[in-house]
Formats: sequence, C-alpha cells, structure tokens
Amino acid sequence: MNRSFFAKNPSVLIFIGCLALFTLGVTLLSEAFGTGVISTSFVKTLGKTLCLCLIAIAMDLVWGYCGILSLGHFAFFGLGGYMIGMWLMYARTAQIVTTSMAEADIPPTAQEVTDAIGNQIFGVVGGSDFPLIWSFADSLTIQLAFVVLVPGALALVFGWLAFRSRVTGVYLSILTQAMTLALSLYLFQNDSGLRGNNGLSGLQNIPGAEDIPQSVISLYFFWASALALMLGYLLAAWVVSGKFGSVIRGIRDDEARVRFLGYSVEGYKLFVFTLTAVIAAIAGALYYPQAGIINPAEIAPIASIYLAVWVAIGGRGRIYGAVIGAAVVSLLSSWFTGGQVPSINLGFYTINWVDWWLVLLGFSFVLVTLFAPQGIGGLFDQLVRNRATPQRGGAPLGPDASALQEKEADK
Amino acid sequence: MTNRLTTLCMAIAMLLTGLCAAIAQDRDIPSILQEHAAIIAKGSRKTIEPAIVDLRDSGQVDAQMVLEAWQAKELWQRKADGQFFTTTKNEDNSYTLFDVITGSEVGTADKKELKQIKPNSGIRGMIGAALVQFQLMDADPAKRLDALTAIDRDPNPTHLPALRAAIDAEPDADIKETKIRLERLLTIAYGADEAERVAAIESFSDALSVDVRAKLNPILATTRVATATKSTANIAAQLTPGTDLSKEDAYALLVAADLAPAAPTQDEIRLALGDNIIDGRVGGQPIATLNTIEGREFAYEALADDGLVPPLVTADEMQWAIEDHLFYDVYDEPSKAVTDAAETTLQSINTRVGFNQALDLGLDGLSLASIYFLAAIGLAITFGVMGVINMAHGEFIMMGAYTGYVVQQFITDYTLSIIVALPLAFGVTFAAGVAMERLVIRHLYHRPLETLLATFGISVALQQIAKNIFGTQARPLTSPAWLDGAWVLNDVVSISYIRIAIFVLALIFLTLLLFILNKTRLGLEVRAVTQNPRMAASMGINPDKINMLTFGLGSGIAGIAGVAIGLFAKVTSELGSDYIVQSFMTVVVGGVGNIWGTLAGATMIGGLQKGIEFLNPSNTLAAQTYMIIFIIIFIQFRPRGIIALKGRAAGD
Repeated sequence: MNRSFFAKNPSVLIFIGCLALFTLGVTLLSEAFGTGVISTSFVKTLGKTLCLCLIAIAMDLVWGYCGILSLGHFAFFGLGGYMIGMWLMYARTAQIVTTSMAEADIPPTAQEVTDAIGNQIFGVVGGSDFPLIWSFADSLTIQLAFVVLVPGALALVFGWLAFRSRVTGVYLSILTQAMTLALSLYLFQNDSGLRGNNGLSGLQNIPGAEDIPQSVISLYFFWASALALMLGYLLAAWVVSGKFGSVIRGIRDDEARVRFLGYSVEGYKLFVFTLTAVIAAIAGALYYPQAGIINPAEIAPIASIYLAVWVAIGGRGRIYGAVIGAAVVSLLSSWFTGGQVPSINLGFYTINWVDWWLVLLGFSFVLVTLFAPQGIGGLFDQLVRNRATPQRGGAPLGPDASALQEKEADK
Repeated sequence: MTNRLTTLCMAIAMLLTGLCAAIAQDRDIPSILQEHAAIIAKGSRKTIEPAIVDLRDSGQVDAQMVLEAWQAKELWQRKADGQFFTTTKNEDNSYTLFDVITGSEVGTADKKELKQIKPNSGIRGMIGAALVQFQLMDADPAKRLDALTAIDRDPNPTHLPALRAAIDAEPDADIKETKIRLERLLTIAYGADEAERVAAIESFSDALSVDVRAKLNPILATTRVATATKSTANIAAQLTPGTDLSKEDAYALLVAADLAPAAPTQDEIRLALGDNIIDGRVGGQPIATLNTIEGREFAYEALADDGLVPPLVTADEMQWAIEDHLFYDVYDEPSKAVTDAAETTLQSINTRVGFNQALDLGLDGLSLASIYFLAAIGLAITFGVMGVINMAHGEFIMMGAYTGYVVQQFITDYTLSIIVALPLAFGVTFAAGVAMERLVIRHLYHRPLETLLATFGISVALQQIAKNIFGTQARPLTSPAWLDGAWVLNDVVSISYIRIAIFVLALIFLTLLLFILNKTRLGLEVRAVTQNPRMAASMGINPDKINMLTFGLGSGIAGIAGVAIGLFAKVTSELGSDYIVQSFMTVVVGGVGNIWGTLAGATMIGGLQKGIEFLNPSNTLAAQTYMIIFIIIFIQFRPRGIIALKGRAAGD
C-alpha cells in the first residue's frame, strides 16, 4: 500500500522517458535548433501525431477501460479545434484589416473595423455579419476556456441523456455516431456560422508571432503537444490506477453487477465520457494550429471509427497501447498514402500503395481483431511479462461469455 | 387608366372592323393592299390599324401569307405605281419581283425604283397578333396548339378577340377546352370591363394550376408609396413605419418621392470628409477624432455649415418627416372589385394547393421511407434478428448497385438487364455475406463491439477495392424507359415511377420476409436460434447453418436494395456509406428484432425528414441534422424503439 504511484505503474516512467528522449531527439534534428535533418513539415507531422496519440489515450480510457465504444470522440477533437481556430482566424484577420485600414484618410470607426473583419471571414459563404457564436472570438482567454467548456458541455449533456436511458453497447456506439454525423452535417451548412465546408483556414499563422519563423513555431507546438501528451498520460494512468479505475473496469466487464454493488454506474460513465471528451478537445486545439485548416469533413463519423481502429490495433486496456497504435497507424498511413512506398509489380497488375493502403489497413484490422485482440501492446506484455494476469484456473473471469476470458487475458 | 382605355378602344375597333369584314367579304387582297398603300408605306403604328384589320378579316386564305411577308420585312413597294411585291436580289443589284399571292415572276426592277416596307417592332407585333387568328384557325391541330402555347407564353391584349373568335369553330374538343381556358385567363388581364374580369377570376376559384396563380399574382402586385395626404388609390394596406417597414426604408421612400431631402449615408459622410482634409483637419476637427460616428457627424456638420457638403439629416429630422407622411402599399391594378376578387380566389386556390402539397409531401415521405426501408431491411435481419452489427452492410448495398452496373455493360436492354441484375445482385451479396459470416463474424458472436470494428475494417477495404476497380467517378445505372417520367396527378402532386417501383419493391420484401420468418421452416429455425441457440441446437437445429443462411439472406436483400437505389442515385463507392447511419437508426428507432418495427422506423424517419425539409426547403443538411437530434431525443423516451419486444425475446 505504501508503494508510490510510479512504483505501481512502471510504464508511466518508461513512457515519459521515451517521450522526453524522442522530443529531445526531434529538437536536436530539427531545422530550428539542430542539424536540420528533420524538415519543418515533418516536425509538424510528428507534432500532429502526438496530438493523435493524446486523443487515442482518451479513446482508450473510455473504451478500453470503461467499455463505452464511443464513435464520437473526433467530434470533440474537432470542436476543440474550431474553438481555438475561431480566435486564430479572428485575431489574424483583425490584424490584417487594421493594417490595411490604417492607410485610409479617415480613421475607421470600431464598427467599420468589425464589419471589414466579418466581410473578410464570411465573404466566402456570402455573409458579413458575425454570428452569435463568434461573440467572444476576440478574446484568447475565453476561446481557450471554450476549448474545454463547449465539448465538455456537449459530452455532459449527450452522455447524461444516453446513460440515463441505459443505452449501452452497440446502441450507444450508433447513437454517438449519429451525434457525430449530426454535428458534421450541421457544420457543413453555410449558415452554421463556421464557414460551412470551407472551414477555418490559415490557422498556422499565429497572431502576434509573425516574426518567429514557422520552423520555430512548429517546434513550439511540438513541445506543447509532447507536454500535453505527457500530462494526458499521467492523468489517464492516475485515473485508472486507483479505486476509481477498478470501478470503471468493473463497469466494462459487468455493468449490472457493479450497479448492484451500489455504485452509481451512470455517474462514473458520465465522468469518464466527459473527461475524455475534454482531453480530446485539448488534443484538437493543439492539432489544428499545426494542420493549418479545419473543416467539417474532419468530424465525419469515419474519423472516429479510425480512432477506434488505432486503439484496437495498439491494444486497448493499456494506455501505452493506445499511444503505440495511434502513432504507428497514423505514421504508416501518411507514409503509404504519401506515395513513398514502392509499388509492387505482380506482372499482371501493379499494386500502387496509395490505392491499396486502405485495403491493407482494413484487412489487417480484421486480422488483429480476430487473432490478436490485445493488439501491438499485447506484444510488449509478452516481452516484459510484468503484467499481473488473473489466475482463475480456467473459470470465466466475468459472469457471461462476453466478459474477458482467461485465455484472452493470458495471451 | 390609359391602358384600359386603349384596350377598350381596341376592342371596339375590332368589333366594328369585324362587322365591316362581313361586308367586305369579297374584296381581294391586292385591292386591300392598294387601298391602304399609303399607310402601309408610311409605317406608323398609330395609323396602320385599318390595313392590318382589313387584311385579317378579308376572309382570304392568302392574307396570312401576305401578313407573314410583311412582318418578315419581305414586302417591297414599286414607287411608280404603289404595287406590292416580294423580291429576290440578283447579282447585278437589280431585283426580281414576284406577285405577293401567286408567287409568279412579274418582272425586274432597279433598287431605286423600289421601297422596302420595314414595319417597326410595334407594327410587327400587331401583325403577329393578327396572324395568331389564322394560326388559331389552322387546319393542322398541332399548329393550333402551338399558337395557344405561344399566346400563353407571351399574351397581349390583341390576342383576346382573336381567341374568342376562334372558339366556336374549333372542331377538336380538347383544343376547344384549352382555348376556352386560355380565353378566361386572358380575360383576367385584358377583359373589357370590371364585371367581365371579376367573372373570369371567380371562374378559377377551384383551379390548382401554376398558370392561374401566375395570372392572378400580378393583379395583386403592389407598390410602396409615401404620400403627404390620404391616398385615393386602390390601397392594399396602410403601413406603420417601425413595424411594417423599417424607418430607414420609410425615409428612403420619402426621399424617392421628393418629400424629404436625401440623408447622406455613413459611407458618403466618410468620403466627403476624406475630400475635405485641410492641413490634417476636417471642418476644424483633427483627423484622429474621426474614428467615431459622433466625431464624424460633428466634423461633417461643420463642413455643411460652410456649404461645402449637403446638410446632414439628423435622426430627429428623419423621425419628424416620417411622422408627417403616410405610407401605403398600393395595388398596381386600379379596380378594387378586381383585386378583391383576385384576393378571394387566390385564397381559395391556396387552400386547395395547401391540401395538395400536404398530399405531395406525404407521397414524398412515403417514397423516402420505402428507400430507407429497403436499405435497412437487410440490416433488420442481421442486426435486428441476429444481433450482429454489420458496418459493411452499406458496402453490400454498393456491391448490389455495381452488380447492376456491370450487368448493364453486357445486357444492353435495360428492362432485361434489371431483371437479370436483381437475382444476380442477391446471389453476389448472399455469397459475400456467407463468406463474411464464416470467416469473421462466426468467431465474434460473443463480442459485439469487436464485430462492429471488424466489419468496419471490411467495409473500408471493400470500399477502397470498389474505388480501385471502378474509379472514383459515378457510374450510371440506367432505368428502363417505362420507369422514366412521373405519375402526374395535377400541377402540385406528382411522383416519379421509379419511386413507385421502389415502394412496390419495399412492399414485396416486407411480405416476403414476414412470410419467410413466420410461415416457413427456415423462419421458425431462425427465430429459435435467435432466442436460444443452445436450446435450438438440442432440438436438432444446426445453429451454425441457420446463422450463415440468415446472414446471407440479410446481405442478399442489401444487394437488391443496392440495385433499386442505384436506379435513382449515382453508383459510387460511397453509395453504401451514405445510407449506413440512417439504416442503423431506422432499425434502432423502429425496434430491434422486428420487421414491423423497421417499417415503422423507416416511415417515421422518412416522413420526418421530408416534413423538416418542407419547413426549410433550401436546406437538406439542416433537415438531416434536426432529424438525428430528434432521434437521439426520441431514444430517450423509447430506448427500445417504436415496437419493443416484450418478455424473454427482448434479451438482456
């Protein structure tokens, strides 16, 4: 009982160590502070990958530990991106507009400046008035608060509605998918107030940091993403390590039994769902300034399913598994779709990986689900063998066939 | 007023000339031409009337030809004797003359001896109107219909008497009816007196068509006016500034009517200030103070006091000016009786249109519901009955559609190809479904969430394979000709035959599935395996085989749905994923494990979506959004769907 948090969770220290080494390595190889082996765009890709690892941790928490297969976490990710994107776009446009208006004979009134900014931002969807949701776009503090509050509130309301009526299992998955679809369809409209399918763009230009070259900014974001990932990992490890973690794992394995033991299952689920939504939103807020553009297609239901795929391939129920899955699959994906993988000539047909990568991913995902439900993280367990696996002598670990079986747990 | 007068005069003139025509029956065309040679040559719209009328009413068939030549500027006059000819130009710049009626060559003349008759557009219009009468009387029914269409498209007052004259002699009953209807429509606009027009308007009170509404609406067109004294015109409504129209608009009306001085806009003020900068100051104010509206107006007033710019109109002055005047919506149509009649008639028409729109909306909703039903019914079996989440269901729909496309590449007869494609699509997707069940799903029956993910992997792979084979562009799946077109009930209600066919197909599947599940041995075994596989197995049923067959059946139906959907939507690799979320929601909303539930779910979702679209027609995206939100809320109240299974069959 006296063992410290780190002693109980050795993987945390190992992970932080690896992450620190990785960050240091990238910094030393970057264009800004090092040898320049790694190009700025690749630093951005790595920074974005770290953000994806963060949302994968959130997904692992909600799915791998709590058993809620949410197909909507990318909606929270995107919402976080939109919230920060509103400030980035507003502040940057305001700067440009003010500069250009300062050259006029007559100084502009405050209203004229606002109108001109609105015209710049919404001209593309045929409007010029600021919708209500942009009321606080000029304040970085409020928009930063919104990054957490808006997705958090959405998750809270949605989760409360869903868990209250005891929607579970695949029904919940479909419901979260429906929510994601509704949100993305809504944002696709031109009069949603967020520029329809144009989305928000130019987010890589940070207002007030024009003098800093992109190579440096991208490294700052890389550090921020690494820091966020580290904090997210610590938080997730802390949440699942104690009594709370036992309860949510209990909910995953047999919800009814936990409820009969007197726990408020809905409260626990709601907490985990909302917490992970907030983590996802923060990951999104760090991701989109590096990506430079956000549009409703990013929120489409398929993105959230891919998230589940990463976590499943990485190995759910292990936080490092989620990180590994997200990093491996997203980097492989950009490697394959980037056209850098040599085509295979079969004589009668040439396999061009840009076209066939998704087929490979799809089928390898089926294989992982069928034959290696532990994912890549399971391989680590095999190597390290320090994971305490329950010994029941062949008796089922849970009450029915859908619960974790010993032969699975032993793998 | 003048418009009505001319209409009246014209009508009287027509009437008189009609009488004259009866007397002048025997006159031949050359003599009519000679009689009016002077005014024809002069070509003035004011005096030309008798010439056209005499020709029109000459009772000679050739008059049409002459009028057409005249209208086409092909009529030439010989200066020497005033005779009219048609001509062709020769190579030596001389002209060959032809008789206007017989077309026989009568000589040549130099250009100097001739004068081309060039009727201006006004006269050509009058000739055209006169010609309409000939066309209306033409022996060829197609030409008569053409003439009616032409009048309908671009009516003018002169058509009315011509049309009236042409009604009685009409032999064809259908065309006669069209003529009478058109005469009523023209009377609304060009009738000689108020009573006639009111009667014409009222005769349409049970009409529904678009063209009647198009004729009535202009009568009710209004103009917004501002007056100092009470208006005596035909007033539609008196407007209160601030509620019925904004104060800015009201003031703009006053300015337009010269009842108030124009107020410089903020833009004009800014430009004026910019033009009057002297040593960094405007009107004595430093430029830096001009960044507020008050500061600008202050400087502008200083300029106005110097007479450099037009004076500023303050908000108070605007308010006073608005209060001193009256604002009306005035009908362009002066007669109150006519506008009243139009209003009443339009109201009764609108009520009927409303009813019919509701009917049309119902049909639309029904057809969308049958599409959703078709897309979801396969899922109702695999997901609803077996409890297997198959994310690749949408790709089975896509496979069915592509099967239809491939079949059409080999069988060019569309009817035959559809007949071949339907069972073939069933076979292809049945095989795919069985293969998937055997290879993947069988191992995951106890892990529903992983079934979802594994089938999603298959869905991604299948979609990409389809993209690699067929490319990203849409492929056409052409429906047979007898499915083209629509069943038109009236101007408001219509539904395309394809949608009816899909509705029928959905009905067939509903009956077929109900029959299979409830009346056959297979259905019995399926239900037994679904409820309790172990018990079923001990009764001698092979659950593996039943699961395989059930899954194959559900997938096969998805294939047929794919052919049906491909007929009206373009076949792309994303075809299936467009329907997958809606299909799942249809099943969940309807109630899992029940074919009737799926029907109820599809009806609700289809009807709801069309209903929301009707409220906001420009925005189908928003309609879908609101529908999904509605469904999420609906599930709060009926988590097990509309038709919930009770008892042990409900499971967990």
